[in-house]
Amino acid sequence: MYRILLADDDVELAEMLVEYLSKEGFEVDTAHDGKAALDKAVRNHYELVILDVMMPELNGFDVLRQLRTRSQVPVLMLTARGEDVDSIVGLEIGADDYLAKPCNPRVLVAHMRAILRRSEPVTETARSTADILTIGDIELQRGARRVLLNSQPLTMTSTEYRVLEVLLQDAGQVVSKKDLSERALGRELNPYDRGLDMHVSNLRKKLGPLADGEERIKTIRGIGYQYTRP
Amino acid sequence: MKSLFWKIFVSFWLALILFAGLTLWVTSHYLEKVRNETSNTQPRINTINYIRQARDFAHSGNVEALRHWLRQLDQREAIPYLLIDEKGNDLLKRPVPLYLQQRVLRKERRYRHDDDDDDDDDDDEHKHRPPHHRPIIINGQRYHLMPDFRSVTLNRVLNRPRVIAIPILLAALISALVCLLLARYLTAPISRLRQATQKLASGDLNQRVSASMGSRKDEIVELANDFDHMAEQLQTLIESHKQLLRDASHELRSPLARLQVALGLAQQRGDSTTIRELDRIERETERLNELIGQLLSLARLETLAEIEREPIALDTLLKDIADDAAYEAQASNRDVKIIHSMPVVINSNRVLLSSALENAIRNAIRYTAENTSVEIFLQNDSEKSNWIVIKIRDHGPGIPEEMRESIFEPFVRVGEARDRQSGGYGLGLAIAKRAIDLHGGEISAANEDEGLSIIIHLPVNDS
Repeated sequence: MYRILLADDDVELAEMLVEYLSKEGFEVDTAHDGKAALDKAVRNHYELVILDVMMPELNGFDVLRQLRTRSQVPVLMLTARGEDVDSIVGLEIGADDYLAKPCNPRVLVAHMRAILRRSEPVTETARSTADILTIGDIELQRGARRVLLNSQPLTMTSTEYRVLEVLLQDAGQVVSKKDLSERALGRELNPYDRGLDMHVSNLRKKLGPLADGEERIKTIRGIGYQYTRP
Repeated sequence: MKSLFWKIFVSFWLALILFAGLTLWVTSHYLEKVRNETSNTQPRINTINYIRQARDFAHSGNVEALRHWLRQLDQREAIPYLLIDEKGNDLLKRPVPLYLQQRVLRKERRYRHDDDDDDDDDDDEHKHRPPHHRPIIINGQRYHLMPDFRSVTLNRVLNRPRVIAIPILLAALISALVCLLLARYLTAPISRLRQATQKLASGDLNQRVSASMGSRKDEIVELANDFDHMAEQLQTLIESHKQLLRDASHELRSPLARLQVALGLAQQRGDSTTIRELDRIERETERLNELIGQLLSLARLETLAEIEREPIALDTLLKDIADDAAYEAQASNRDVKIIHSMPVVINSNRVLLSSALENAIRNAIRYTAENTSVEIFLQNDSEKSNWIVIKIRDHGPGIPEEMRESIFEPFVRVGEARDRQSGGYGLGLAIAKRAIDLHGGEISAANEDEGLSIIIHLPVNDS
């Protein structure tokens, strides 16, 4: 049973979604405005937060921005259909994924499961194979899902963590966008989906360049990304 | 003088009067000055010089050279200089005015009178007088060089422009300055208006001009006020349009979102008697959802004037979209193939360009016959350098020739039979057209031997 928070100002919709999601195995808390959503998200422990962009008091972006200063809980943004800018803004401030609303509840559940899979603790067997991955100045602790840069812990969303993990596993090799999307985000790449690019861009900002000034994650135009092996 | 009409009229009129008046005044002043010198006992320095020069010629005895010099002097000077002999005739046979004849005769009489006193000492006698009063002696004949001040006419002055060149030039410069200032005064606010209009056209609706017009009150300021009013109206209109769009989209989406969840709940319950109808409702809901999305993107594209661009590898983008579309097309025994491609980086908006290409390709899939492929060509434009062409060709029924333009308009239907199975062109091509327009490109349709080609021309920017 996953405990999640659903923040949407449409009360009727939220009620129906609670019913739908509970049948899919989620325990859903609801909030109908931004302030309440932020309050609940900070005070309680959720495995996932679903944030609608259009909300009274505080909009979804503001909630996410303030939430990210305190918590790295996975967040799925519900953006208005056709507002492509919204989705980019959302990912930029640290959302794990976004969905254009209105959407089929089945699709919503699929996205939720993909995010939850990413943030799930690694199984015992996987942990034993390579608990700690160290490449240059960066250390990835798989058990704790922690990233240390020069022994300093970095905060990142679980999606960013997954993207970094895949890139580090294949450090020195080019990972195609399609491959990265499937392995890190758990979904197929959409041709004009900027999500992956945004996650990589966030990672670059958090990690900075290598000690010798070289770019840490290189863009291989038309193919994908490559983590520079020092 | 509030009106621009009167400003222009009066200032041009004044400038003309000023110039004509100044010219007249300068010339008449000159004439006046010259004539007054007749009474002046002190002859002009010029006259003394000329007498000296004439005497030099006379001493050398070269009468022809003297005549030549005299003719040149006449052409140069506004005042006629006459060389008059004892009988009152000019050396160049020019008519001699009576007053000069009399003066020469008077001089001669006085001279003869003096002469009678002392016949022997001719030279001595002459030394009593200043040199310019002494006659010039040519071949024994005695001549006097006399400036004929009274014969200075306007015609003579104007035929010798050197004489009054400087004052006229000054008058021209002053009037040029006046006209320049006037022209500046008239055109400065017009170019300000033009700038504002250009900015307004490129989407900056906050442009206002009245404030920059200063304290003037004329037609231009009225135009500026009208411009501001227009910009105001335009801004309100576009803002209310956008507001309506936002509100409508929100309002349309909310019930649709609820409908989808309600449908999901019904499907979860899994009542086998209604499962087929529920699936049908789901399909139609998706279609409605897609349509609302398209309608909103088209509406947004219509209000967009500028797009954000970034360098995009067009060949890769096209391949990604084609692969994606092929995957879906294969479900209905159709395919999408890239026949020709080449590496191109194009400065463009990824979202808009993708949606244009995707709409055109999906449209082609919808119309191409079963077991055929949609063929895509990406190549250099053979007519325009630095342009590329993307051709998307289907093997379908094509369209009536007269509809080649109109299929890019929203909700245009080609034929009854066709639409029932395909759902019509809807908004896809309208969105594609608008997106391509925003990139400065062109989109057109052409019937092939079998099927239809959508042809997209795009400029490749260097950056």
